Amino acid sequence: MKFNIPQEENLYPGHLACPGCGGALAMRLALKALGRKTMIVLPACCWSIINGPFPYSAVRVPLFHTAFETAGSVSSGVRAALDVLGKKDTKVLAWAGDGGTFDIGLQALSGAAERNDDFIYVCYDNEAYMNTGIQRSSATPWGAWTTTTPIIKEQPKKNIMEIMAAHRIPYAATASVSYPDDFIRKLKKAKDIKGTRFIHTFVCCPPGWKCSSENSIKLTRLAVESGIFPLYEVENGTKYILNRPNQLPSDDKMVRQYLQAQGRFSNLTEKDITKILANIKQEWLRLMSKIDRCS
Amino acid sequence: MKFKKVPCAISTETTLYNKTGSWRNYRPVYQNRLPPCNNVCPSGEKIQGYIDILNQSPADYTKAWELLTADNPFPATCGRVCFHPCEQSCNRSDYDEPIGIHHIERVIGDFGLSKSLKWRMPKPDKRFKIAIIGGGPAGLSCAYHLRRLGYQSTIFEADNKLGGLLSQGIPKYRLPQDIVQAEIRRITANGVNVRLNSPINQSIFSKLLNDYNAVFVAIGAHNERKLNIQGEDKPVPPDGGTNRDNQSVIPALEFLYNLAHNKKVKIGSRVGIIGGGNAAMDVARSVLRLGKKPIVIYRRTENEMPAIPDEIHEAKEEKIEFITLAAPHRIITRNNKIVALECVRMKLGPADKSGRRTPIPVRNSNFRIALNTIIPAIGEEVDASFLPYSLQENNRIKVLEDGITTSHKGVFAGGDAVTGPRTVVEALGAGRKAAALIHYHLKKPKLPQPAIEKPVAFEDLNTAYFEHAVRVQPEKIGLPQRFSSFAEVYKGYTAKQALQESSRCFSCGVCNKCDNCFVFCPDMSVKKKNGRYEYDYEYCKGCGVCVLECPRNAIKLVEEKR
Amino acid sequence: MAKEVISGNHAVSFGAMLARAQVISAYPITPQTQIVEMLSEFCRTGRLKAKFIKVESEHSALACCIGASITGARAFTATSSQGLALMHELIHWAANGRLPIVMADVNRSMGPGWSIWTDQNDSLSQRDTGWLQFYCESNQEVLDTIIQGFRIAELISLPVMVVLDAFVLSHTSEAVDIPDIKKVDKFLPPYRPKYRMDLNNPLAFGALVPPDYNFELKYQIQEAMEKGLAVAQKVDNEFRKHFGRHYGLVESYRCDNAEIILATSGTITSTARDVIDELRKQGQKIGLLKMRLFRPFPAAAVVKNLEKCRKVAVIDRNIGYGVGGIFCQEIKAAFGNHNRRPQIFGYITGIGGRDVTPDTIKEIVQDVRKANKADNRIKYIGLKK
Repeated sequence: MKFNIPQEENLYPGHLACPGCGGALAMRLALKALGRKTMIVLPACCWSIINGPFPYSAVRVPLFHTAFETAGSVSSGVRAALDVLGKKDTKVLAWAGDGGTFDIGLQALSGAAERNDDFIYVCYDNEAYMNTGIQRSSATPWGAWTTTTPIIKEQPKKNIMEIMAAHRIPYAATASVSYPDDFIRKLKKAKDIKGTRFIHTFVCCPPGWKCSSENSIKLTRLAVESGIFPLYEVENGTKYILNRPNQLPSDDKMVRQYLQAQGRFSNLTEKDITKILANIKQEWLRLMSKIDRCS
Repeated sequence: MKFKKVPCAISTETTLYNKTGSWRNYRPVYQNRLPPCNNVCPSGEKIQGYIDILNQSPADYTKAWELLTADNPFPATCGRVCFHPCEQSCNRSDYDEPIGIHHIERVIGDFGLSKSLKWRMPKPDKRFKIAIIGGGPAGLSCAYHLRRLGYQSTIFEADNKLGGLLSQGIPKYRLPQDIVQAEIRRITANGVNVRLNSPINQSIFSKLLNDYNAVFVAIGAHNERKLNIQGEDKPVPPDGGTNRDNQSVIPALEFLYNLAHNKKVKIGSRVGIIGGGNAAMDVARSVLRLGKKPIVIYRRTENEMPAIPDEIHEAKEEKIEFITLAAPHRIITRNNKIVALECVRMKLGPADKSGRRTPIPVRNSNFRIALNTIIPAIGEEVDASFLPYSLQENNRIKVLEDGITTSHKGVFAGGDAVTGPRTVVEALGAGRKAAALIHYHLKKPKLPQPAIEKPVAFEDLNTAYFEHAVRVQPEKIGLPQRFSSFAEVYKGYTAKQALQESSRCFSCGVCNKCDNCFVFCPDMSVKKKNGRYEYDYEYCKGCGVCVLECPRNAIKLVEEKR
Repeated sequence: MAKEVISGNHAVSFGAMLARAQVISAYPITPQTQIVEMLSEFCRTGRLKAKFIKVESEHSALACCIGASITGARAFTATSSQGLALMHELIHWAANGRLPIVMADVNRSMGPGWSIWTDQNDSLSQRDTGWLQFYCESNQEVLDTIIQGFRIAELISLPVMVVLDAFVLSHTSEAVDIPDIKKVDKFLPPYRPKYRMDLNNPLAFGALVPPDYNFELKYQIQEAMEKGLAVAQKVDNEFRKHFGRHYGLVESYRCDNAEIILATSGTITSTARDVIDELRKQGQKIGLLKMRLFRPFPAAAVVKNLEKCRKVAVIDRNIGYGVGGIFCQEIKAAFGNHNRRPQIFGYITGIGGRDVTPDTIKEIVQDVRKANKADNRIKYIGLKK
């Protein structure tokens, strides 16, 4: 098997991502998919640092650093300006972390999605405020340690996809850099759709997950294959397409492998793991009840 | 850092200034590890290598053949008869099923024959003369590899035809003679002197030692071991021995030799084959094809049979009867004719040195099997009587630690004559090694020190990138045809099948440009240059993602010394 | 050129339309709503070819303007009070990003308790953000200042806030001369920024600034502000050439030989004008200084206009809690180390939309006349005991 990804690089090395950063790879692949006719709106997130301090930048496209909660709204403004200036073929890419999407930026994102403003919103979700040093966000999963959930987080992860689907936007999809072909396909698909497109990308943060950097891709792959983070697409908020996995694995091996490789889950008891497994199954069934077809 | 006057925080420079390579504690390094198939191949074939060539687009069969035959000049032969330890070691067997390596080898070999592919050999160095005693696989392999090394040799063959067991012992349904003879001719056509019908005795051997700079003894093992049971020598034909039609205990090699030379073989309707090795299977299946009933009698169980599993499987497929846990006790004759074999029932005791469980006779368990021909196939011994006594040991040739060199300077030995009856590919490997050692003996070149390398284990692989795929099975001829003729059983892969099967190869430990390291690098630090990957250590942060995501363990992390 | 009787809010809408704002984004809030309603209508009819993004909050409204502006479009928004406060973070973002956005703020008192009526605490809370602030007296001035605002903003790359009183201006109709758009075009050329999001010159805007550079970047905003005084004056002069109207940074009204000068802003100014006229008729040596531009603070003009009088009464419709009236503080500070300085008296009145009538002004004049020496005590006019 060989990946079929565009060769063009639109990201410079020397960026400030930690070794093994899934978010850095996500940007690299996304810009390969979208090409250089893209403008990035970047709220506060790891990428605010990754892209380099003044007077540097790591991307080969224009990029606007903006306030934490404004990815959705600033993107609307950029889009409007491009339209009014007649640059309709320039794509706007809002690139936000889970904090900027699930939490502080949710209102602006919801506003833009309700207006169906024409841009691609990628949330690279590493499941906590990693830039500030691992504080819980509403994307942090049940059972994870963070510096503000000193034992474990006792609330489940917010289901952002259902929120976005409820806006009936033309396209929403989950994705993972562990599946570069799928990730790029989704961005390209999004590129050709008008309106608000939302890509929820699951990425590993080795320092935040307390795992070794080489595990970065492996862990997000396990998350997909184990059903913790299934890959699927939602068209117009109603049509669900399942990409991966085809079914929940018959045993709990992968889930355990996933949890055990990460220090953030080291406070889990056997009872907790049972609960996590039950939750994965429940969420899976809930998702399956909506699936129209499998890709 | 340059500061350009801008009205606000506008970045005009790129992050290329930031040489993140300085963050690195470990550096990724491309490595070529030893694939398990290459590791176990007695002939040293670069199996992963030729399969990889077939996986390129378009597949270059000529290149694959050249790579394959650089190590083994008998691909069409080995593709048919080799016991393919490579497939047993194939990491794919831990995933689904091993690669059909021997089928692929056969396709490449047959391609070479059909296209009459030739080697480009160096000019021979006429200063050196080398004698090879025995024109079997070991001898031919030695001659071939010597030729590649720039030497011309002379083969002394006792029989009227080269090939040893390849020509004399393997039935045609496994190995058509035109195939093996063509591969032999391809070797001799490259400037190898051949003396047929030239058995060696003590005096000739002494002369060879004088006339030649090196002698390689590869005489094989041709003396059939006897059953040593009552009645084995008894049924003498009534005419005193001239009418062999009535002979009813036939050594396996003699039986196979006669078959191979299209001589008439006279066997009864019920033929008992004693033994569980490959020769026993060859005999049994040949008997079947002669329209008689073969019965394989073996003293342990099927699990302990030394024959390769495929052979056993096919014999059973052909509905050949196996009587196991039975040891011949005596031959029952009536009117000088065999009527039955009396056997003792055995049971399995504790494991012996070879790891197989020892058969122990069960008291008072004798029983009879009605037979009229008995073909013992319990192994062969070496006749090395022309050699100095110092070079003989336990009916074999005595060699030093490397398995080839003897205590007599300039004399080398290999193949079954040293190891006892083994396999074609092991003999080929021995010939190859002998050629290298003779080369060293003659010219004292720098011998490459073979690194002791651990082959890639299944656990070393990242199988996430491999789709499950069943092994491609070549077509076989139907049973009715097998019952009535010596037509080759396996038809071999079609070109499409060969490529399909090749694509299943994991390419263990060897980069096959799958792009994973390039694709997954978050730091753009894997560069493609001249069809290879290179790390950009100026920026590589040493995260190790590429190491883990390499499906085949062709990258390692090395601690950074600063 | 046509005169129409329109409200202050509609004067804002006309101003934005005539300035050919390209992207408008706003969120409704009393007393600003009519501004966005009329702009929506202008966009619907095609009278204004702009994208109007009807957002879910003021925060997003300014965010949209920021996005539009950095992409090279002329951006406009309008808000009031709580809405402005909600924008606060982005008020900084726009200025630090040197984005020439123009915003109308209808002055409204901050809650709680809820109030929809005017005072200046909302806009003055934003005084140190790097926005220029103009306080308007009439609907005509509102319209003209919006147009001037874009010109100034784009010349010095800083955002401009045009402030008008709730209801007293926003909902009060006056005859307003609506200039011909072609004339406006001549005054205000299309927006062509030097730096913007551009595929051909892909820059990043707003990266992390290490201490090594930040001081210099912030200093450039101060430089631009300082330059802004002259630019605002120049633009006002040009405006006069094009349209025959001008306002100055401050306006001195009947200050010749004045012993007492009132310093006012917003609509209190027009009430004060009437009182001054009346008192001058009575022979009182009294004048008025209208504070139009608050940021950058026209300190030199203030000093020049006030240094010769004996007493200055600063009337503030705001409270800098713990200090006093904000305009008063600024005027006092303007005199700083100046040798020749009048006695400066601070009055606070009209908070929360309480009417400021001619009598209120007269009460202040009487009080200041009686006082001999300013004692820095703040006086509250109309405060119920």
